[in-house]
Amino acid sequence: MHSTETLRSHGPACPAASADGGCADDQIAGDGYTCHFEQGARPESLILNMGPQHPSTHGVLRVLLELDGEYIVRAEPVLGYLHRMHEKMAEVKTPAQFMPNMGRVDYLHALAWNWAYVGAVEKLAGIEIPERAEYLRVITCELNRISSHLLWWGAYLLDLGAFTPIMYAFDDREMLLDLLQLMTGSRLTYSSFRFGGVYTDASPAFVQGVRQFVPHLRSRLPMYTALVTENIILRRRIEEVGVIPQDMVARYGASGPVARGSGIAYDVRRAEPYSVYDRFDYEIPLRHEECSMARYMVRMAEIEQSLRIIEQAVESLPDGEHMHPKAPKPSFKLPAGESYFAVEGARGKIGVWIASDGGKTPYRVKLRAPGFSNLALFAECARGTLLADAVAILGSLDMVIPEIDR
Amino acid sequence: MNATISFDSVLHVVLALVGVAVFVGLNGLLLVYAERKVAGFIQRRPGPYEVGPQGILQAVADALKLIGKQLVRPDRADPLLFWMAPVLAFFPVLLLFLPIPFSPLLTGWDVNLGLLLILAFAGFNVLALLLAGWGSNNKYGLLGAARAVAQSVAYEIPLLLAVLAIAFQEGTLSLSAIVGGQGGMPWQWNIAVQPLAFLIFFVSALGETNRAPFDLPEAESELTAGFHTEYSGMGFGMFFLAEYANMIVACSVCTVLFLGGWKGPFLDGAWWFLAKVYGLLLSMMWFRWTYPRVRFDQLLNLNWRWLLPLGVLNLLATAFVMKL
Amino acid sequence: MTPDTASVTPDVLLAPLDPAYLADENPARTGLRWSAFLSADALPRAAALLLEAGWHLEDICGLDVREGLMAVYHFDRMTSPGRLAIRVLADRETPVLPSIADIYQGAEWHERETADFYGIAFTGNPNSMPLLLPEGMQGHPLLKDAAARAPLAALLAAQGREDTVLRKAEGFTLLEPAEDAKPAKPAKAKAAATEEGADNA
Repeated sequence: MHSTETLRSHGPACPAASADGGCADDQIAGDGYTCHFEQGARPESLILNMGPQHPSTHGVLRVLLELDGEYIVRAEPVLGYLHRMHEKMAEVKTPAQFMPNMGRVDYLHALAWNWAYVGAVEKLAGIEIPERAEYLRVITCELNRISSHLLWWGAYLLDLGAFTPIMYAFDDREMLLDLLQLMTGSRLTYSSFRFGGVYTDASPAFVQGVRQFVPHLRSRLPMYTALVTENIILRRRIEEVGVIPQDMVARYGASGPVARGSGIAYDVRRAEPYSVYDRFDYEIPLRHEECSMARYMVRMAEIEQSLRIIEQAVESLPDGEHMHPKAPKPSFKLPAGESYFAVEGARGKIGVWIASDGGKTPYRVKLRAPGFSNLALFAECARGTLLADAVAILGSLDMVIPEIDR
Repeated sequence: MNATISFDSVLHVVLALVGVAVFVGLNGLLLVYAERKVAGFIQRRPGPYEVGPQGILQAVADALKLIGKQLVRPDRADPLLFWMAPVLAFFPVLLLFLPIPFSPLLTGWDVNLGLLLILAFAGFNVLALLLAGWGSNNKYGLLGAARAVAQSVAYEIPLLLAVLAIAFQEGTLSLSAIVGGQGGMPWQWNIAVQPLAFLIFFVSALGETNRAPFDLPEAESELTAGFHTEYSGMGFGMFFLAEYANMIVACSVCTVLFLGGWKGPFLDGAWWFLAKVYGLLLSMMWFRWTYPRVRFDQLLNLNWRWLLPLGVLNLLATAFVMKL
Repeated sequence: MTPDTASVTPDVLLAPLDPAYLADENPARTGLRWSAFLSADALPRAAALLLEAGWHLEDICGLDVREGLMAVYHFDRMTSPGRLAIRVLADRETPVLPSIADIYQGAEWHERETADFYGIAFTGNPNSMPLLLPEGMQGHPLLKDAAARAPLAALLAAQGREDTVLRKAEGFTLLEPAEDAKPAKPAKAKAAATEEGADNA
């Protein structure tokens, strides 16, 4: 990936770094990041590299740790292992060509990213959406949120050493994935939103399936609570671990369950209302303990709230078109201007900012990933904790690395 | 202790060792299969069922695979320590089976100090884990080894205290005699008299054998396999087998001490012994697939703050009652 | 954050910093509630005031326009939502901006990413290693060719934009449409790119 431009090189300010990356100091085995990290290390600490291949870092994340025994003195996440430069792709592809990218940014809540991009384009171009399409967007996005939270739950417990809940979660997810396949054609990386509506209308099978799924999942949640959430070992592992006070949330721009677990009642669906969310009766779960357990409980409660929204949306699903008759053709040009559209994703506030100069492709697209801001606070949060706690904190932040790296 | 070493007794011990090796080998296969099936059923999936009818040949296939793999050692890992560790993990365990009475006739070596023999040789496991972690030249291995040593050393003490309580009560360290002192019916077993000791013993056994919820030294999600990170093929296979063998030893000793050994309500014999041992093994597996892992400081706190004082109290109470 | 600072709107908050431009915007059109143009020197002070008033940093976007390299800071507030965009222009030859990472620690990563993509140097950022791009990589991917660069007015001062200008400094011309606001040349360069893209689609 070496461009012929020679503006400025990315030389780190590490005295021992060599020009093409890596470390010139023979004593330090490792690349430039290790070298840079070790510059500030105490002589008696152990420098440990967690990742990029690691069962618990939820993707290709590398965390450099300076350990004093089992205590973390300093932590530094190193990103970029999954960087695909989506923002550049957005500048060379037309909006319709770029849509599939949004499913790959955060594959677990792909529909929220779909929505953020589609919303930004529709806001900029003034495209209208039929009411039925709004409801379908809400239903599928909330179903996606549930599947994302279920996978988070299973994976989090796997990190903590319980091997069984992930199997139960995937059992439930299978039903969800089947339903979403009816609506989107995919099982994971959905790109079914279109400018002006959604890709396909809801079939009676889909509506029936959703009607059966909601009470089924509702009946499973008490079992999860009794078996897992109230387990004393789990509670000892995540209560009072990873305290994120409110000022840390503000300084890092964290959002989603990370903010709501620290007592900040901020949800984009209420703060910057979009679509038809204001027609439904649902709560925003809020906890004040600021620890990993609080974030865990917020997400579990969000599953229940999503079920409520889906129930109401399916009951009041209006008739109509799934695509606006005046929706633009895929080859349409964006008018000049900028627009910022924010959506509440499973991980927090997803933002897409588009600036266009009227050409075929956008001039600039900025993808604001919630995980990026959430992970940034890990270094400060994990200081002084045990290595096992670091794993618990990382899991409670619910990160998907492709979203962070883009 | 029998001071004369006759040819007969040596032959007996050698035959016993061979029998134990066969028993451990077969059980290794059986337990691997059982573990995977139990895990499957708890996780609502079938477990192995392709290889052989109902997957019973899965363990055999895995064993053949492990044996057939190349033995790889990291370049800067110390060859002696690296290769000695799995050997040291596995072979002493065979000795541990000798004093255990499977039935009145099937006893490897009925020594008066059977319990002492078991407790002494069980310490080799700690050494093996330490050599594995240190010899791997890997920071994760080192952390895993450090955890393993701290954990094993810590949990030996309540184990010992629980065992001592029984020894005080029976007045002997010979396992056969301890079985002899119990009756056939469940209320005649030692567990009815020493339930606390049983609990302490079982929890400490989980800690000694590095089984969940105490499987920190090999905590996959934190330490990418801990002390056996660098082992593959037969090296890993030996650790694997050693873990199951240790589990069987722990459950066997528990059965002998607390559950009446080979005695049953009717028809005493090795089948009762095996049934009880497998019952305990099944519950160990059940715990593994149900509970998350405790944190390391919580593990040690559990030991030093709860098991140790309770063990001491139990011992004192036993001594007091015996005196009366 | 005192109760009175909590409800202070950016126009009042940023007024002492003498922004070159400050406007109310229509969120339904642009997603922004306020926008401001600040000089690079005023940026750290603005960040400090905003943090104290309860704003959090959403992101920092770079933008390569004809006038130079621009960094757009998006702020929002959780207690009384409404997005604020602060735009700071840096010189193209030596793009240097002050870092706000000592105030908003989350800005460290945003600034490193912008430095990777545009080559803007943020003085005072605690970590100089590239965030997303490989070490030792030459060049910055999101910089535009000179022919493809648009003036800022073409991007922001679009038709239908409903700004209510609250203050505007003398000689502030960044948002005035230039004569060649929609140049023909960039469209050609982009058309070439999209023909390739269309072939691949």
